[in-house]
Amino acid sequence: MDSLTALLEGFATALQPQYLLYALFGVFVGTAVGVLPGIGPAMTVALLLPLTYSLDPTGALIVFAGIYYGGMYGGSTTSILLNTPGESASIVTALEGNRMAKAGRGAAALATAAIGSFVAGTAATIALTFLAPGIAKLAVQLGPADYFALIVVAFLTVGALLGSSVSRGLVSLGLGLLLGLVGTEVLSGQQRYTFGIPSLADGIDVVIIAVGLFAVGETLYVASRLRHGPVRVIPVTGGWRTWMTRGDWARSWRPWLRGTAIGFPIGTIPAGGADVATFLSYATERRLARGGAKAEFGRGAIEGVAGPEAANNAAAAGVLVPLLTLGLPTTATAAIIISAFQSYGIRPGPMLFENQSGLVWALIASLYIGNVMLLVLNLPLVGMWVKVLRIPRPYLYAGILAFAGLGAYALHFNVFDTLTLLLVGLIGFLMRRYGYPVAPMVVGGILGPMAEEQLRKSMAISQGDLAYLVHSPFAIIAYSTLAVIIVLGMWLKRRKARLEASAPSPDVVPEREAQPAE
Amino acid sequence: MTESAPAPLDAAASGGAPSASRARRPLGELAFAVVCAALGAYAIIGAGFIRVPPGSASVLGPRVFPYAVGVLLVAASVAVIVQVLRGHSGTPDDGEDVDPDAPTDWLTVAKLIACFVSQLFLIEWAGWPFAVTVLFGGAAWALGAKRWWTALAIGFGLGLVTQLVFGAWLGLSLPAGPLLDWIPIFHG
Repeated sequence: MDSLTALLEGFATALQPQYLLYALFGVFVGTAVGVLPGIGPAMTVALLLPLTYSLDPTGALIVFAGIYYGGMYGGSTTSILLNTPGESASIVTALEGNRMAKAGRGAAALATAAIGSFVAGTAATIALTFLAPGIAKLAVQLGPADYFALIVVAFLTVGALLGSSVSRGLVSLGLGLLLGLVGTEVLSGQQRYTFGIPSLADGIDVVIIAVGLFAVGETLYVASRLRHGPVRVIPVTGGWRTWMTRGDWARSWRPWLRGTAIGFPIGTIPAGGADVATFLSYATERRLARGGAKAEFGRGAIEGVAGPEAANNAAAAGVLVPLLTLGLPTTATAAIIISAFQSYGIRPGPMLFENQSGLVWALIASLYIGNVMLLVLNLPLVGMWVKVLRIPRPYLYAGILAFAGLGAYALHFNVFDTLTLLLVGLIGFLMRRYGYPVAPMVVGGILGPMAEEQLRKSMAISQGDLAYLVHSPFAIIAYSTLAVIIVLGMWLKRRKARLEASAPSPDVVPEREAQPAE
Repeated sequence: MTESAPAPLDAAASGGAPSASRARRPLGELAFAVVCAALGAYAIIGAGFIRVPPGSASVLGPRVFPYAVGVLLVAASVAVIVQVLRGHSGTPDDGEDVDPDAPTDWLTVAKLIACFVSQLFLIEWAGWPFAVTVLFGGAAWALGAKRWWTALAIGFGLGLVTQLVFGAWLGLSLPAGPLLDWIPIFHG
């Protein structure tokens, strides 16, 4: 009941005209940028950070909520209508959705993705509304050792589960932690790894790490192997009425609900985010399919779009649970949102619901509003998104670079940040080229300082006794869950690799090559 | 630079371009892993030079965490090096605009970096709109835009628009540069 009244107050704030406009602006820009190929949700949020430098916190977070959900919707449009797979979270959508579009059923694929995203987003936001305050209340009692345990869980799951190999994920995590060390250390005021450069004394902003890796690094990488020639977008035919037939609805609603049920819990635990959730949903739908639908899998089954898309958006909402209640980002996108909070001096965590309850509930209310706006915007505006998809690639990537430069320079109005951005971008380029996941680096950059703080607090409490780290039941549960998550995650990844290898398609991920015989 | 040694593993069965580019890769990949290991070693050595304030109350000094990060980075990098030497190369990222069969085009990458470096000088010397013009125009040209003057024109337009929106309207202090500073709206 308590959270219901708070939510209503949140709506009262979020429904004010100027905040409605902010929300509309957020979802519109989020979708438009999310549709752009090569730009995932993390990069969308990172590139648009400068927009918030001059808004008030509530307005900025409402814009962000819109961008966050909008980027998710946009990504699915891209993977359905372009001939090649997109960001990892929607890669399974590309499997079926792209085939559906090729078979002339693109409109149905887009519609089931959009409506599924709406259903899942709304259901998951409801779950968030009722779960988050309770979790925050529990979290108030957590001590530094418990936080340290949670952060270690996030480190290892993100580092070990994202990307193709555990060691590469950990290298990426280590690089992020190293960047996080640069600057003035809080407790004793020592400068570390600053080379005596004054600009480095404040540390390297996470925005620079994120924009550098996702915008500059990605652009350099795409530029190094750019696909030349015209952009092939699959045309969408049919008007309003023919988008989804009665049969499509009948085949979609169960996958939507199942996808939501799979996506939300996975989003809330630090287990690699939406990627795992979409894959699990896809595997489930494929196993449950019967008759004609079963034969369609791999050639454009609507269940294979509806389920994973719903799971994707439900996971996106789930990620907000640890973000808002514990201050723990479990994906790269969440890490960037945290840095947006921090730029306003707001620290997400258990106290957020007490100290900033007006802000949080306005944010949650705007998630509901944003979802409705996205549903309304997405379907009728498909023609416009298709035009966005056709932007000539040289201009697209030149524009991304320009906005990345703006984001870095506008931080402190100092070209030193621009230089740091370029260096981080170069590292990001090499990481992509050699198969390192970049998300652990962003998470490491933002969680590293928090981990050190909590670790040193616990050691101060315990007078240096390491056993204190596992003294509480919560910490013990966290560490044992970590073991389970890692084992489970490895198993899932193996299954996913097998699934991708068995997908009957030449234009999806290049399959693992057969081991050389001789 | 040098052509890599013929790859004996390149089985004819798998054939085609991907395996050829795969066989050429390990040198650069090894170098990157070695650089990562070196960064980790630097973190460990650098940690030893962090001053620990005498009589500080905290049990865990400012050195411990850096040591741990350095050890993690070195250990993980060495594991990658071992993997690569055993023939388990990383899989490059996929993307909508990435041509999986294309070899790495270092020249374009170098051009883009040069365009970006120009920002370091141009933003404060010539002003934001002109810095964007050069960055956008140069990057679009490097990426194969059909007409370079169109790219420059779009770049200049983008520079002016961002200057107006972020500088004049949202109040970020982007320098308009000596050429535009006399116009009141750019002056803020």
